[in-house]
Amino acid sequence: MAKKPKQGTDLLYTLIAQARTYNDTIIMGRGDPDFDTPPHIRAAAIEAMKGHGNDYSPPEGILPLRQAIAGRVRRINGIEVDPETEVVVTNGGQEALFLMVLTAICQGDELIVPEPNYNTYADAMNFAGGVKVAVPTYASEDFRVDPERVRKAITPRSRGLLLVSPNNPTANVITREDMRSLVSLAQEHDLILLADDIYDLFMYDGHEHVSTASLPGAKERTLTLNALSKAFSMTGWRCGWVVGPAPLMAQLKQIKAAVNAAPPIAAQYAALTALEGSFDDVERMRQTYLRRRKVVLEALDAMGLQYGFPHGGQFVFVDIANTGVGCVELVQRILDEQHVLIYPGSSFAAGLDNYLRMTFLQPEEKLREGLARMKIVMDKVFAEKGSRS
Amino acid sequence: MSTSRTVQNVIERHQGNSLLTVQLPHPMPAQVGLDLSVDQPASFLDYEMVESARQAVESGQTHYVDVPGVMPLREALAGYLGEMGASGYGAGEVLVSAGVQEARFLAIQMMAGLGGEIALPAVVHPGVRKAAGVRSLKLTFIPTPRDRGYLPAVAEVAAALAAGARLLYLESPSRLTGAIYSPDEVQEIAKLIARFEARVIWDQGLAPWVAGRPYLSLGSITDVADSVLLIGEAWPGTGLESLMVGYVAAHAEWLEPIRSQKQIISICTSTPSQYAAVKAPSVYRKLHEAQLGLLWALRERAVMVARQLGAEVLDGSAANILALAPADVQVAQQRLAEAGFVVADGATFGAPGSLRFAVTPDNAVARALCHLA
Repeated sequence: MAKKPKQGTDLLYTLIAQARTYNDTIIMGRGDPDFDTPPHIRAAAIEAMKGHGNDYSPPEGILPLRQAIAGRVRRINGIEVDPETEVVVTNGGQEALFLMVLTAICQGDELIVPEPNYNTYADAMNFAGGVKVAVPTYASEDFRVDPERVRKAITPRSRGLLLVSPNNPTANVITREDMRSLVSLAQEHDLILLADDIYDLFMYDGHEHVSTASLPGAKERTLTLNALSKAFSMTGWRCGWVVGPAPLMAQLKQIKAAVNAAPPIAAQYAALTALEGSFDDVERMRQTYLRRRKVVLEALDAMGLQYGFPHGGQFVFVDIANTGVGCVELVQRILDEQHVLIYPGSSFAAGLDNYLRMTFLQPEEKLREGLARMKIVMDKVFAEKGSRS
Repeated sequence: MSTSRTVQNVIERHQGNSLLTVQLPHPMPAQVGLDLSVDQPASFLDYEMVESARQAVESGQTHYVDVPGVMPLREALAGYLGEMGASGYGAGEVLVSAGVQEARFLAIQMMAGLGGEIALPAVVHPGVRKAAGVRSLKLTFIPTPRDRGYLPAVAEVAAALAAGARLLYLESPSRLTGAIYSPDEVQEIAKLIARFEARVIWDQGLAPWVAGRPYLSLGSITDVADSVLLIGEAWPGTGLESLMVGYVAAHAEWLEPIRSQKQIISICTSTPSQYAAVKAPSVYRKLHEAQLGLLWALRERAVMVARQLGAEVLDGSAANILALAPADVQVAQQRLAEAGFVVADGATFGAPGSLRFAVTPDNAVARALCHLA
């Protein structure tokens, strides 16, 4: 029997493994900021290893960190939570989303998910035995999540609605007006809202981030995730959180304890230092991404490629329909010929064969080189096709 | 504020899941009292391990690493397993988990699969039931006689296999009592596994603390090693307890779905923890023998005291835990709680009437036992 081609997360990890075999690879796909964790956070972790080495953490995380998270979501997201009962610390944003899905969705339940979206939502849904109901979004609309399309996707088996803003991979930002409409829909049809706020500090061009749970009537039915990974460049530390109403969080905590323990003590103290300290480093990163975004978008324009304009996040979702080549084939060719790793759109949702996800997460010089290498392949592709239209 | 019916349904569904709501012997914040509920004695990290983590993060190791773990640590873990006799597991067959509960969860859920079946000892670590409860598995329970320290007899394992079980979860040492299978029994289990073409998840996390009796890992029987998935904590007693480093070791084909699921849960185990653990083998070699001797001596002393107090001592060979069946468990629990001690309740393991005490280098177990008089 022929081996099934790799898809989704497995495909991405196969590409990453290939990229690692080259010594000149430029990674422009993975969501791992190139900045190292700020020094004061690293130092706090080492001090914690010395001073708290024999501490155990409760599964929901140490209370000072939960208090700091409650302060952060109140200050930045406008969400009021009780750190005793409404905050659970997780092993990164990834575990947070896994726990949110397992809390809200059981076998046969439907979760409405705007597409494209981060591929591990589908993995978590598959694990739970849930049914993903996709709501399409389009590059021509900057991948806007249209409440009317969401309404049409609701069925008697709908249990929840996933909202990711800024979106990964499309970078779409849900406006306050649309968010209000989506919350109203959730109230009308009694849906649980799963909100992924992980890119909330990376907003551009005056666009505002609106946390779902901050809107009237939303908090009681919303689980919200976030993590230190993107904002503080702490992807390796694995520290994130879920906040939500106490009755739902009590169930999430039970699942959390079944899946694994709290993050390591050192990571929790590092996270505490990050949240209690200055956010100046985050703002510096945001300004840097803003400059890099310009570099990437100008290069894409020069290549003759379309994209949804990224008003937030760390990505751009590129439309390659005019190349006449599928995304997996194109990504593979760019990697094979030029050692540049870009993620294929189809790894984020079926039917997205005409898209690529590219990140801003490399130094500007490296980005320019990666884009120049990519252009070599794109020029060949268009030459083989005979036009750029 | 009206309650959402959907939210209410979710809550009722989870609360009705008797496996998921099993209480773990939760670690308690230090100020609550003396915590003797833990599986492994906590200790401070050795300087060498802290320094290893420091150098790693200072050199930029603050990013995602490979899902199964950094290669130096996987190589070290393969060596650790080899020292316990399980030398058939190479670095490519080891995955670093975020503590032992994640190892349990990954092994149980991915080996059984959605709607799958698994046979468990009737008395087993509560984390096993909890992990199985996350999505419905068909569970069968293997009887666990009290006079064997709640370890299933080989005949009962055979009966479970004869009745159709093809995936077993076994602990040796028992997480409640520290009871272990003898080398002869392990050989017999291996023959059964081969005969029934079954698979076993073998929790050997407490094996480093076995004293006074020979220990044999099922993973060391080369004829069946391909059918045995090993889980546990790594290098206990070196201070890794708070850094959450566990392992899954399995045939590469089995490890693949576990690797995929690990990616979905947490991407990788915390990078600084992994780099601290890389230096654990040398620290372990320096400390372990003395720690084992001390804990075993303290346990032997505690056994004598417990018997003098009229408590039944449950059979066990792990120096770091002591399981007792006091004459009146509720009175015993109440007295311990009043004195500020937290111990693991055997009821959560499936053995009501018993209590498990951690044996720690500070001999807190002796102070706790005084309160049972």
